[in-house]
Amino acid sequence: MLFFRSEETLNDWCTATEHPRRPTATLPQLWQMAVAWYSNRLSPQARRPDANEIRQIFARIGLTDAFWDPQADKF
Amino acid sequence: MDDSFDLTLRTAVYRHFAATGRAPTLEAMRAVVGATSDEVQGGYRRLYAKRMLVPTADFASIRMAPPFSGIPTQHRATVSGTEYFANCAWDAFGVVAALGGTGDVFSRCEHTLEPLALHLTPAGPLPSGWLFHCVVPAAKWWNDIVFT
Repeated sequence: MLFFRSEETLNDWCTATEHPRRPTATLPQLWQMAVAWYSNRLSPQARRPDANEIRQIFARIGLTDAFWDPQADKF
Repeated sequence: MDDSFDLTLRTAVYRHFAATGRAPTLEAMRAVVGATSDEVQGGYRRLYAKRMLVPTADFASIRMAPPFSGIPTQHRATVSGTEYFANCAWDAFGVVAALGGTGDVFSRCEHTLEPLALHLTPAGPLPSGWLFHCVVPAAKWWNDIVFT
């Protein structure tokens, strides 16, 4: 899970390293992901979201590609 | 040992990371939870099975307590004067989110190595051309969480 300066640098990295080009998230979307996952992580009540909750989180953020589905068998 | 012990141990691990920015030693966790080394290491095994943290190979310390990293990485965050290492780009934001929502993130573009320095507030970062990319699809993240 990495940062890239632009679509161009990401595409160049994928070509150079022969890694597959996957869907991306913007930094505002990444912040929403981080808040959803980790804002209560220090609480004793913290737990990982289940599959349905993960889908809902990504859908709310606008990440609906099957790549983000925790149970997808497409990839 | 029961779920109550594991919850106490997990909470202690996270509080240690939050307070110090570093992974706890086995001795520190033994002292905090009042248990033997075997009991603490057994707790680490169960918490790993629950995908709550990743112990080191010898189960003596913590490699990952997401979003915190027990080893130095290229993804760092600073909150209230304490520096933290994160496991990945997502977790760099996650450290700030876990610690109240205000802090600084330092990382880089993986291709050009251009530095990334962001000040985050609860409102999140301003839109920019920077992107987050993950090679591993969500369904396989925990197949090899260290690589992910």
